[in-house]
Amino acid sequence: MPEDEEIEEITEEEKPLEEPETAPTAMEEELLMPQDTLLSAGIHIGTRMKTGDMEQFIYRVRPDGLFVLDVKKTDERIRVAAKFLARFDASKIAAAAARLYAQEPVRKFCEITGATQVVGRFIPGLLSNPSYPNRIEPEVLVVSDPRADFQAVKESSSVGIPVVALCSTDNEFSGVDLVIPTNNKGRRALAVIYWLLARQILRERGELPVDKNLPLTIEDFEAKISREEGET
Amino acid sequence: MTEKTATLTLVTCSSCGKPIPPGTEATKFLCPNCGEIQIKRCSKCRKFGRPYRCPKCGFIGP
Repeated sequence: MPEDEEIEEITEEEKPLEEPETAPTAMEEELLMPQDTLLSAGIHIGTRMKTGDMEQFIYRVRPDGLFVLDVKKTDERIRVAAKFLARFDASKIAAAAARLYAQEPVRKFCEITGATQVVGRFIPGLLSNPSYPNRIEPEVLVVSDPRADFQAVKESSSVGIPVVALCSTDNEFSGVDLVIPTNNKGRRALAVIYWLLARQILRERGELPVDKNLPLTIEDFEAKISREEGET
Repeated sequence: MTEKTATLTLVTCSSCGKPIPPGTEATKFLCPNCGEIQIKRCSKCRKFGRPYRCPKCGFIGP
């Protein structure tokens, strides 16, 4: 949690320093969402750590040492991941979220797409133990952070199902079959990513027209911070 | 008497090109981009995050 808070703070601070407002270009029109919205959600904000695996998705490094992800590559990967996930039966998709800020987005994502949610602690054996009564047998797994959801990634490797992961600049590709480069720590960023992914999956399935949006807003996907929780 | 011999063809890993022995922690899935080619990844390539490439559309993962 302290890590989450730190990144959130950085996001808030760094927003005004981002690219100046410009007229919409051809590239912006191609994106799933206006670039300004994506940038204000902070989906491009990485961490101060960089792995060799994630180097290909890094756009630049800020003077303060924060690595910034390429929004265009994130957009491309969301489209690819949506195409990939849309080929599976809805009930055969599982989405795991160990991080607190990823739990609400995952719940909404599963509600909309019909996937199986695994929020909070991933019980060891949930995928791999045949004698566990509540065992699930998905055909593909979506994880919010391969490091936080390491048990889910490990078990999906042992049962041989592909893993789609939201990776930030500090993640490695171990056990991951498809990467979506994004900020996987920010509250708003996770909401935007899961909202976009859910919308794109429905569009790929043909359940949602291309010009229509989801009935839920991005705010609905966002994890709520209750006042009591903040005080204690 | 002639003995019939059965040949076992092992699938090869899309990343390293080595045959994948049965029973290992490998995975196979359709290319995330085009969905026409089946990508096979052996346990080692998954563990080390080695890149794979779709021979049809040229998509490079993970």
